[in-house]
Amino acid sequence: MDIGLETYAKLDSPVHRWGVRQKLIGLAALIFAFAFIQDLRVLPAMIVVTAIIFAISRLPFPFLVSRLRYPGIFVLALAVVLPLFSGTTILVSLGPLAVRQEGLLAFLLIFVKFVCILTLSIVLFGTAPFLKTIKATRSLGLSPILADMMLLSYRYIYEVANDLTKMQTAMRLRGFRAHGFNKRTLNSLATLAGSLLVRSYERSERVYQAMILRGYGRAKISYEEFKAGTADIMAMTGVIVVAVGFVLAELFLRGVIGG
Amino acid sequence: MHIPDGIVPLSVAAAGYAVTAGATWYSLRKINQQEDPQAGIPKAALLTSAFFVASWIHIPVPPTSVHLILNGLLGTVLGFYAFPAILIGLFFQAIMFQHGGLTTLGVNAAMMGIPALLAYGIFQLRTRFNLQDSQLWTGVFGFLAGSIGLALAAAIAFTILITTIPGNIDVAAERASITALIVAHMPLAIIEGIFTAMLVVFLMRVKPELLEGASTQKAAVASS
Amino acid sequence: MKPQTEANTYTNGYHHHAIKQPEPALTVTGLRFSYTDKADVLKDINVTIKPKERVGLIGPNGAGKTTFFMSICGVQKPQAGEIVLFGKPVKHRDFRPEIGMVFQNSTDQLFSPTVWDDVAFGPQNLGLSPAEVEDRVNEVLTSTGTLAFADRPPHHLSGGERRMVAIAGILAMQPQLIIYDEPSANLDIRSRRRLINFLKASDQAFIVSSHDLEFILEVCDRVLLLDEGQFIADGDPKQVMSDSPLMEAHGLERPHSLAFHKNDHHSGSKTTP
Repeated sequence: MDIGLETYAKLDSPVHRWGVRQKLIGLAALIFAFAFIQDLRVLPAMIVVTAIIFAISRLPFPFLVSRLRYPGIFVLALAVVLPLFSGTTILVSLGPLAVRQEGLLAFLLIFVKFVCILTLSIVLFGTAPFLKTIKATRSLGLSPILADMMLLSYRYIYEVANDLTKMQTAMRLRGFRAHGFNKRTLNSLATLAGSLLVRSYERSERVYQAMILRGYGRAKISYEEFKAGTADIMAMTGVIVVAVGFVLAELFLRGVIGG
Repeated sequence: MHIPDGIVPLSVAAAGYAVTAGATWYSLRKINQQEDPQAGIPKAALLTSAFFVASWIHIPVPPTSVHLILNGLLGTVLGFYAFPAILIGLFFQAIMFQHGGLTTLGVNAAMMGIPALLAYGIFQLRTRFNLQDSQLWTGVFGFLAGSIGLALAAAIAFTILITTIPGNIDVAAERASITALIVAHMPLAIIEGIFTAMLVVFLMRVKPELLEGASTQKAAVASS
Repeated sequence: MKPQTEANTYTNGYHHHAIKQPEPALTVTGLRFSYTDKADVLKDINVTIKPKERVGLIGPNGAGKTTFFMSICGVQKPQAGEIVLFGKPVKHRDFRPEIGMVFQNSTDQLFSPTVWDDVAFGPQNLGLSPAEVEDRVNEVLTSTGTLAFADRPPHHLSGGERRMVAIAGILAMQPQLIIYDEPSANLDIRSRRRLINFLKASDQAFIVSSHDLEFILEVCDRVLLLDEGQFIADGDPKQVMSDSPLMEAHGLERPHSLAFHKNDHHSGSKTTP
């Protein structure tokens, strides 16, 4: 069981080689700039920029599609709801229902934003080992408590998942079938969940002891591995400029700035 | 109920981040005020993993099955560590499964975290009324914590979604759809309540310290 | 020639400069420990361990072995008693890198996302520079034969591999006394043999607690039998463990290889005639 996005984290591409801190700042800026967009005329530029970054990252396209599938279901639900119920300008009439222009365009906006933002997120987290990304966020100021919690949780998710599988197998071997919604089934599943919690709780005491035995809390963390090269900073600046460009374009189109 | 990227406007996402940042800051402050803040970290972290995995358990509800959110129970067990735990859990879900977005991480964390803290408060009422030794009452408070935890999260999620979706849906339709979605989730809230009740009774029998007013705080004091 | 380290050798009349007593690795006097729900898990523990001594600790479950280990490491605070480690008293929650402990369950101890990170954890907390940390880590990964796993997450390793990585993590702190809590449990034959060879070649003093009595026989020069919170026996492994009545009285058994040979007159081989 892998964290899913790590499958292609070891490839080689300019994006993979981009310094993690700069990548974080740059792509985050772009992602939030995209979230700001409400004007449809900006969408083509969004698609182009996203496609370019994705292409440079050399991540496989089928990989991206597989990652978009699950969350895409929810968004596609909107594909039905919005065009049929939102807006007043009717484009096509299908019997009692009507496809409305505003709804259709609203959906288009959501859909493109969704795909672009998710693609950039996958590029951001799929082109470096997850661990390195966490350390980078810590070096950027994330609370050490949160960073430590994240690293420990990440590490032990696999163990708990293993426990779950083993316990489920044991239950099945004793004839348990989770078919009906009844008290016995619920109770067995509650016991299963409860056991996971208790085991993790007990394990955490031993982990804590192991940590303090090796000096937990005494380290002065060095961030040498994140020393930035000129290329890293230039790439980051470039992406931030693009992000700002998008924000300005949106503001201009809204009539907030410019002539 | 996890809100994906691209749907809500940036203003809402930013507001979500502001609320989450505030709640997280407050939680971290409370954690750092303890005698040994480090002691609670492994406990909170490993319980975060456990809750994360536990939410994968299929609860059969014919014709289909559901996954529980368990934010109510998480609040009950983790106390001040609950909000960071939910934030981390959601972050992992966004990265691993694309379940919930990254721009909407703040919104989602607030949506599930605030009810979790409320659930913690509800469950602690048990001690206020000196009912902590009764299995029946522990179950009742567990039910309340679990069901209210989910119901509130659903209410917040759908209100945000419906009121912020771009496009013009008239106000009456908006209100109607929000109400409809929330009502549709009531059975789920009941199921979470029942499951949480069973879980807390189990924990009471097997490891009562997990229920005693944020065991993670206890750990910080006990090991110093 | 082994120097005597009993405290009363000073009274034999010689000027004590003439006999250089090596400082004991560990001295425990009057150790008593109770849990809130269980009293006197350790009753009156007294023991001295010399540097480079290889001690085995045997006893039934619940005898107090893990409690003993946790006390001498400073993790748990005893109700009474004095613990002196390499000349310095052990205070509760002190950081004493001279002593290291390899846990029964390696998963509890490998808490970092990758092998490299985990082994680096100790050296980083010792305040070494990143370059020194890197050297130290590579050194112990090589000596434990785990260099190939450096980038792997611990859950991708087998039980034996995890055990060696956990040992590497402890060695990276350069301890002089290592505790091994049930190290051969759940290991396959090859991994177990590798571990035996590793321990035989090791430099440090160690205490091995194990139910695998043959393991203790191969690896230790001295054995302590702990039961009901007290040391019942302390001596040569073959002598102590051949004493069937003694072993059985304390929930143990004479190991099979000692069944016919109390004295090693087959120059090391333990097979029956």
